[in-house]
Amino acid sequence: MDYLQYVDGNSLLHRLDPRTKFMFFVVMAVVTSVIKSGVALLFLFGFFMIMWHISHIQKYILVLAGKLKVLLVFIFFLWLILGLFESPIVPYGPIFYKRLLPFINGQELYICFDWYDLYKGGVYALRIFLMISSFYTVLLTTNFSEIILGLRKWHIPYTVAFAIGLIFQIIPIVISELKAIMEAQSSRGLEIEDCGWMTKIKNYVTFSLPLLFRVISKGQAISLAMHYYQLDFKVHRTTYKGIKATYYDAYFVIANSLAISITILLRIYFYIPV
Amino acid sequence: MNYKVKDISYRYSEDGKNVLNHVNFTIEQGKVTAIVGPSGCGKSTLIQIFSKVIPSLIMNGVLEGSFDMPEGTFVSVVSQTPENQLFGYGVEDAIAFGMENLGISQEEIVERMEYVLDLLNLQHLRNRSVATLSGGQRQSVCIASVLAMNPDILIMDEPVSSLDPNGKLMVQSILGQLRVSGTTTVLVDNNLVWSADIVDHVIGLLDGEVVFDGTRDEFFRDFSLQKKLGVIIPQEVEIYRELSKYFKEIDLFYTLEEAKTQIEQLITKGSGLKSFSESCSCAPIITTHNLTKTFSDGFHALMDVNANLPVGQVIAILGQNGSGKTTFVKHLNGLYKPTSGDVRYKGDSTLKKTVAQISKDIILVFQHPEHMLFEETVERELTFCARMQNVPFTEKQLEEVLNRYDLSDERETFPLNLSMGKKHMLTILSVLFSSADVIILDEPTLGMDDFLVKDLEQMIHTLTAAGKTVVIISHEIPLVFKLADSAILLNQGKKLFEGCKEELSRKEELFDAIHIALPPVVALSKSLGLEQICYTVEEFAEKIKKLKK
Repeated sequence: MDYLQYVDGNSLLHRLDPRTKFMFFVVMAVVTSVIKSGVALLFLFGFFMIMWHISHIQKYILVLAGKLKVLLVFIFFLWLILGLFESPIVPYGPIFYKRLLPFINGQELYICFDWYDLYKGGVYALRIFLMISSFYTVLLTTNFSEIILGLRKWHIPYTVAFAIGLIFQIIPIVISELKAIMEAQSSRGLEIEDCGWMTKIKNYVTFSLPLLFRVISKGQAISLAMHYYQLDFKVHRTTYKGIKATYYDAYFVIANSLAISITILLRIYFYIPV
Repeated sequence: MNYKVKDISYRYSEDGKNVLNHVNFTIEQGKVTAIVGPSGCGKSTLIQIFSKVIPSLIMNGVLEGSFDMPEGTFVSVVSQTPENQLFGYGVEDAIAFGMENLGISQEEIVERMEYVLDLLNLQHLRNRSVATLSGGQRQSVCIASVLAMNPDILIMDEPVSSLDPNGKLMVQSILGQLRVSGTTTVLVDNNLVWSADIVDHVIGLLDGEVVFDGTRDEFFRDFSLQKKLGVIIPQEVEIYRELSKYFKEIDLFYTLEEAKTQIEQLITKGSGLKSFSESCSCAPIITTHNLTKTFSDGFHALMDVNANLPVGQVIAILGQNGSGKTTFVKHLNGLYKPTSGDVRYKGDSTLKKTVAQISKDIILVFQHPEHMLFEETVERELTFCARMQNVPFTEKQLEEVLNRYDLSDERETFPLNLSMGKKHMLTILSVLFSSADVIILDEPTLGMDDFLVKDLEQMIHTLTAAGKTVVIISHEIPLVFKLADSAILLNQGKKLFEGCKEELSRKEELFDAIHIALPPVVALSKSLGLEQICYTVEEFAEKIKKLKK
């Protein structure tokens, strides 16, 4: 399964002007930073799911969720544990466990495990997931050539736009290089499956050297290619392809505006402070 | 207007050794010039000088002499790995990249785009993404992207070294087109098998000096020079070389048809192939049972492959790119687990073992040595498998291998500083110190010149003489037929054939199905009516000698 790279397609999201998608990411990053209402975020999550389904990228989002699960579980438990040391701010809802525990120097520690701890953990994990997945949605549906074009239309200097595009071009190459190195070393007898954590960490150090050399040699080859193609950031470049907003962008903007409005309304009517 | 290389000498540092010494030659306009020579002879340095990488990007060296060309002459390069040279997601994006850099107007870009797509017959690829192209298609797009910039000189640096037979044919046809269209092309490659028919002019380099400057025919007639330079030549020319020892009247040929026409005039046609009765009955060391692999994206890489790999033999796995060869061998050493089916080594299933555990019996050497090399010296790299598998070895054994394969002087060298061919040889040599009975070599000749290929042949003989089984994946079909005892033929994930080489050679229809040509000696043995099929040029020449009119 492809990871961290563009997925070829012709869906609604694929057909959008890259600038619309960049704006979508910026707006969603702001919305998920500001809104801390569980109901509102769940609605937004539902909206995202419909969008992913329409664009046939839901399986790639599932892969992302799988990769993020450790981070999300960590965030959930972090906020849950922090919540154990305080009473719920809102009075309703069940309390599962409440007790004063003896602590150092004869002091007592107040522990209260209640529904609000779970809510808080869930809200923070969901916010992070929505923020990352909005970026990933753009990444999955915008190829690096479009990223460069979109950034240039935003008057970002070509040096910066090209560097960003190049990063997205190189990420899949580096991932596949690492995979090939791991396969090659295990084929020569380096145990990477049936071993403890310490050995696994040591092995990653082992892999890093050939990976580093491969990346350096790729970098050299790319800089040579840039020379062969006479890439000079001081010279004015022309473009072969143009980008233009279409009625798809209008539909997308309308749908997102509606979704954000509803999210804000839900935030107003169903807000529980976290 | 020709381009003159005038007395060029170069060293990478003030106090360094000259890598080029008073190099003089001419690149003829509109012709295809091949620069040949063994690894380290200075070919790559010359490319860097022509393309102005020296001194624009590499500034520390000392360059004397000059490359005389008119003001504004534009030289561009197609490298051996198109992945590193294609900027852009789609084919059109990649082709337009160079033109956009030159600041050409959109209208002109459109015009040139159409021109190169038509010239190289690539219109059908224009809406594809670069990532989905085959190796040959990528290289073709790379050539198109450079041609679209309208270079005065196009340099191609080992453009087919990593391509399968179909890919090679594609680039070969493009090179032919360029020659017809009058593009000045410089081909830097020590393998002239695919380009012999197209090249006009050959420059031979050895230790930084020009040792040959002449026409293609003059080069192919100079046998000792070909050997001295380690140039890999077409098997047709090798046949000519051997036959010319016995038939003075024979003239140089490059194609199978020319060879057949000439040899037919010299000999009495044979009575045809004798019936074949030999059976391939060696006991299997590895068996696969209904091996099926479906990847998570739904691609069926292998479908119900049942195969027996005979012990102590050299077994070739043949097929075009995408036929399932690499997937198949990655199941043998446990890197891939089958969707269904089983792999057994000496009767026991390997499915529950880790790759490292399997490597004690079955070892796979990858095609890119950089993926494998990570020790700080050649010596440690050579003994890596032995140390991982706790296989004892002596200093004497180590020295023998180092001496035998010309690595003694480089014992303490950082492996990644070796030439591509030597790096590859080193990864292959490290299996000599492993406990594995089965050695799988994936494209072992990548980056090797003729000297190293001969060493490799010798090493494979040594391994089989020691009772080991060697599985080889290679696109160098003449070499495969020379070395292999038996073969497994895969096409689109299905097994088309399994059996001994002799049986396979008689089934021409299989090769038609997978679009791979039989080696010239095999094809000629059959078409000239020899009693048995020959697999080496020497054997073939002996047979022909006996049929002399």
